[in-house]
Amino acid sequence: MVIFRWYRSIPSWSLPVVLALLLVLAPYLGVGSGTQRLLLLTCILSLVTSGLSLSFGYAGELALGQTAMYATGAYLTGYLAMHWVNDALLLVALSAVAALVVGLVSGVPGLRLGGWSLAMTSFFLVLLVPQFLDLLEKYTGGAIGMVGIPAPKMFGHKLTAVGFYLLVAIITVVWFALMRNLITSRHGIAFQVLRQSPVLASSLGISVYRLKLTAYAVGAIPAGIAGALFAYVDKYLSPHSFGFTLAVTVLAAAILGGAKSIYGPLVGAAVMQYGPLRSSDFEQYSQVIYGIFLIVAGTLVANGVAGLVTKGLRRLENRFAGAPPGGEVDLAAPSHRHTALSLPPMEGARLEVTGIRKNFGGLQALGGVSLVAEPGRITALIGPNGSGKTTLLNMICGYYKTDEGTITVGGEDITGRPTHRVARAGVSRTFQTPLFPEDISVGEAVAAGSYMSPYVGMPSSILRLPAYRRAAASDQDRVSRVLGLLGLTDLAGVEAASLPLGTRRLLEVARALVSSPRVLLLDEVASGLDEDEIERLAEIIRAIRDAGTTVILVEHNFKLVLSLADTIRVLAQGELIASGSPAEIENHPRVLTEYLGVRQEAQS
Amino acid sequence: MTPIWSGLSIGAVYALVAIGYTVVYIAYTTFNFAHAQLMMFAIFISYWGFVVSDLPVVVVFLIAAVGVGLIALLEEFIAIRPVKGAHAHLVTTLGMATLLDGATRLIWGDQVLKVPPVGSDATWTILGGRIGAVEVVLILSVIAIAAALTLYSRRSLTGLALLAMAEDRDAALLRGINVKFLALGAFVFTGVLAGLTGPLVGPKTFAVATLGAALALKGFVAVAIGGFGSLPGAVIGGFVVGLVESLSGRWLGSAYPTIMVFVVLIAILMLKPAGLFGTTKERVV
Repeated sequence: MVIFRWYRSIPSWSLPVVLALLLVLAPYLGVGSGTQRLLLLTCILSLVTSGLSLSFGYAGELALGQTAMYATGAYLTGYLAMHWVNDALLLVALSAVAALVVGLVSGVPGLRLGGWSLAMTSFFLVLLVPQFLDLLEKYTGGAIGMVGIPAPKMFGHKLTAVGFYLLVAIITVVWFALMRNLITSRHGIAFQVLRQSPVLASSLGISVYRLKLTAYAVGAIPAGIAGALFAYVDKYLSPHSFGFTLAVTVLAAAILGGAKSIYGPLVGAAVMQYGPLRSSDFEQYSQVIYGIFLIVAGTLVANGVAGLVTKGLRRLENRFAGAPPGGEVDLAAPSHRHTALSLPPMEGARLEVTGIRKNFGGLQALGGVSLVAEPGRITALIGPNGSGKTTLLNMICGYYKTDEGTITVGGEDITGRPTHRVARAGVSRTFQTPLFPEDISVGEAVAAGSYMSPYVGMPSSILRLPAYRRAAASDQDRVSRVLGLLGLTDLAGVEAASLPLGTRRLLEVARALVSSPRVLLLDEVASGLDEDEIERLAEIIRAIRDAGTTVILVEHNFKLVLSLADTIRVLAQGELIASGSPAEIENHPRVLTEYLGVRQEAQS
Repeated sequence: MTPIWSGLSIGAVYALVAIGYTVVYIAYTTFNFAHAQLMMFAIFISYWGFVVSDLPVVVVFLIAAVGVGLIALLEEFIAIRPVKGAHAHLVTTLGMATLLDGATRLIWGDQVLKVPPVGSDATWTILGGRIGAVEVVLILSVIAIAAALTLYSRRSLTGLALLAMAEDRDAALLRGINVKFLALGAFVFTGVLAGLTGPLVGPKTFAVATLGAALALKGFVAVAIGGFGSLPGAVIGGFVVGLVESLSGRWLGSAYPTIMVFVVLIAILMLKPAGLFGTTKERVV
């Protein structure tokens, strides 16, 4: 227990730092040249694997193309070192760029169809490697291979064996440090959201296509670097080294180490390099063994070695450090109840929907609906099931294409824009079924809401530039303020998806709120909540309105709507049948018959 | 004309693989990476049956159908059933594909083996191009299979149930369709089909352990061209791939066919990602 406490008290990056130092200093610690070579190959394989992890583990796209990028880096380096200039650092950089280009060129079409098309396109790319090498035989040596690559030089000086080892080890350490920075930034959370729910990701302003492409293309960089380094290892390249077997080895290493982990690829690559790849008997059985491994690993150990370690640590934590305060927040508890809610002012925007029409096949979902929602007011949208309320929200958000009509936010036409661009125009929403990716804490889930405001690019996140630091600090600030306002502060570290429904609904509101939306769409946000929770929610919604945001409330709870809304619009069968103040709607004859099902006679 | 005939007949092979993908896609909305390997296995079984054991034709077809059907059954149980989601299936079925590749290599080695044609080995001259009798049979049977399957899926109750399942698994379940059993049936059927067509395909492709990977890719391109879930699309896509391959080999040189097929894949993904007969569904929240 003491050991565990001590372990928790040291910063999480210290273990990787110690291991990195050991790796770099290995030649000076009496590690023999045979082991050095193994470490070298492990580093190279882990770089390739790390590229796959980024795309497969984080962005959720199985892509096997790293082998092709690896080959690109290797042959480019080999050729240039022989015929142009032999400077290891320069060639590593060039190879990285070349691999990035290959990644972009193959990723753009591969990601168009979504699903498994990237997997197949990249798989195809790998099988094309020998054909391209053959086609460019003049430069690559074709099937015979490329011979005569000189020993690496840096700034005109020949590198010794130890010098080259140091170069590889340092590049590997730097790459993994950068990966860590990327994954622990908000892009890391964005990846997780993307992988589990593209629908949610786009509603947060994340362009699904762009981010997936970025992950795949960025994942090409280490593969290219690894290729460049590999060219110097044996000073000989043969097409045999870049076949499909390598692609499967890399995939196996990624899964073994844990595809969704930063340092997992190192573990996986080490196991591969020290185990199967060392014995020559393995060659014959390699495919059978890899095949069985992929089936077993694909079904059983979903998160690899890294996943097991994380799980183990979590278990220890629960045991020794006391379980985190999980479960339900008592929303009716005194501490939550009488806090006066007030939000900092937010700039709302007028939402105007004009003559919107939508048919699904032959079925008319919306038949020319027009409505306006003003900033600083709550506009409720009610109507029987199937009347088109959610369809309308989905069209505003850009999930559906409009057949006819226009939608504007603050005078800006957003009709037909993809969801992530609607979100960037300041439209936030909650979902009927709260959407929370697994393994994400409450704090992270809410922080995901502010991915785009302000947007911090990957380079500054990776290099931890001031822009990143500022945004990270303000994220932290806003998240804790919003959580505080909603009385969820205690839960910041708990896994969001494990919370009860009522809390998750509040959390959805928090996530929508953190980006200071101009328009907030609440889709049946009160359903499934008890009286106290509804009361709390109503208070929050009023506070959001008072802060100036345009609130649209789709809701079935008529009492809640009457008490909250400033204006009410009633939809039935895709048409607007009534609109007015709560008092008018309450007594509107068509609303009474068509929505509330009250018979006219009974009313009089 | 000869390159066109040979393109159509190799295209028929790709179409068969594409049909296998499509049926599994309809039943599971997932992708069976290993289908091409199932077909490769059937080709090796027919090599073994015809050349090594000299068995009667009917027996070879029977062994291939039952054998590959059983492998498909096994695959469903170890690689499809235990995991959920298309991406997880990609990993497990890729594992199955690799396993079958490796097993083939262990059993039959790396060399290219010639599979003798079933029945006549005559060649005919049609429209000025030469084509083997086997190839004619192959092309016609692929068209017949696709037509029969399309008709079956539209007319028979089981076929309709399958389509309903592809549309919405849960809704189909609630309608009283035994989703699991039906899907398993469809999966094993693709194995049996691969087994039955293997002896027809063998003379055209030869038996070689790298065949699976090559067929998998061309089959995928065929599906991408035709559109996911469309049987006529799979057949047309297969023929297109075969023609591209054969004509580019004829006019550009032997290094180009695979590269040109890749170019076609990229082009179709960029211009019409849903394929010729595919439909894009609007997303639902």
